[in-house]
Amino acid sequence: MQLAYLAYLKQNWGDELKDCRQGFTRISLIWKSAAAQNHFSESLTSLELIFLPLSGKVWEIPVCYEPEFGSDLSSLAGEKKMTAAALINLHTQPYYRIHFFGFLPGFFYLNGLDPILHTPRKSIPSARVPKGSVAIGGSQTGIYPKESPGGWHLLGQTPLSLFDSLQEPPVWGSAGDQIKFVSIDSTQFRDWKGIQPCLQYP
Amino acid sequence: MNQPIGTATLLRCPPGTSIQDVGRVAGAVHGIPSSGAMDQLSLCWANHLLQNSEQAAGIECAQPGLKISFNQPTVLSFAGATVQVFLNEAPLPQSSLISIDSGDVIEIGAFLTGARLYICIAGGFETVTYLNSRSADNSLSQLAPCGKGTGLPYPLLVNSFNWTARPKWSSNWYESPELIAYPGPDWELLSSAQQAAFCEGTFHLSKNSDRMGIQLEELFENTIPDLPTNPVFPGMLQLSPGGKLILLMRDAGVTGGYPRIVNLTEDAISKISQKRAGDPIHFQLKITKH
Repeated sequence: MQLAYLAYLKQNWGDELKDCRQGFTRISLIWKSAAAQNHFSESLTSLELIFLPLSGKVWEIPVCYEPEFGSDLSSLAGEKKMTAAALINLHTQPYYRIHFFGFLPGFFYLNGLDPILHTPRKSIPSARVPKGSVAIGGSQTGIYPKESPGGWHLLGQTPLSLFDSLQEPPVWGSAGDQIKFVSIDSTQFRDWKGIQPCLQYP
Repeated sequence: MNQPIGTATLLRCPPGTSIQDVGRVAGAVHGIPSSGAMDQLSLCWANHLLQNSEQAAGIECAQPGLKISFNQPTVLSFAGATVQVFLNEAPLPQSSLISIDSGDVIEIGAFLTGARLYICIAGGFETVTYLNSRSADNSLSQLAPCGKGTGLPYPLLVNSFNWTARPKWSSNWYESPELIAYPGPDWELLSSAQQAAFCEGTFHLSKNSDRMGIQLEELFENTIPDLPTNPVFPGMLQLSPGGKLILLMRDAGVTGGYPRIVNLTEDAISKISQKRAGDPIHFQLKITKH
């Protein structure tokens, strides 16, 4: 739905738009001129959306869920009254869809976290969440592209790079693509070659 | 583009010093903030005095102690905070334009008014760009952060820069507490009593302020339930679940999940950028009629 709106806007109004930001329920537009904005507002009564087929891309993301990489996994499993292995299983099962990028460069918002794993954010955020941390906050799961403060529960870490401004584009995924987490051990984590995830075509 | 051959070397670089221009658009799709000078009015004025392009980059400086040497003649322009300036250790009279010779050293002393100084140079600093902007962002690895020893390239003076006046920016435009704002996307989620309390209230800047956001001292009752993550922009005032009011500034992320209660005008963003912890502010809300 959002992707269809974005495609419509880009195709029909792209030349008039200065900036465009996307969220879960809103798209914010910054126009180059007030005239274009008014013209757009008037056109809204006759807007016809063409729904686009969703991307078939699935990115496989290796995650090490061992305690030194996911400091909150065992306490979270305890809170949910399940084993660490069961929690990892619930987290690696779904195909998550990338909705948009925000919060930090290269951070993507994913949809599809199992409701059992929904967990309120920490009341006191951690001052330093390591780069590549895979975490849960509220109904969301995501990966910290760089070290930052953060209030999410840390399950593990990926050896992949999420954002590199020396590459064009600076991220490998796009809105609409899917993500699948794959559990790896600490030896695989340390020996991981490459910075991009594997692409699966289902 | 001019061939940059001068180098400005930072001999001392206090925290809060960065290269800034008007910022970058089009990075939001990958979560890249707009960045840019906190007080864009002052940056533009300083560039204007030098007849620089609007896109020219200057130095944003938020603390005393910055010391810079120059190896080619140029002209500097200052705007924003009023500060003590020393040229080769001698205090300079207040002026917004300063002529520099090869080997000169400029040092920034005490901040007399305001919170952010902009130092622009004839032709602009020619550091690396990303998405057409030189504004600092530590996620962008090609943009070297400013530190002790950093060399900033600048172009040679094209024409001899003639002036006889000693222009000086007034600083009284940022003294009053009044900030003009418009209702934000989530303003209607506040009760009318909360809306009235917000409009009547006087708030103060807290010490928790940086280029990402300015937190206000006073807590404001928040009864709004969790909201989905949606786009945010510099100048949006967010209300956190604990009742903290956080004004998003230039380096803030492009999306946020807290209620966005008002949007400051561009001029008001510049104004609050020159205020310090403890300064009072009052929001003058403009309700647009449909």
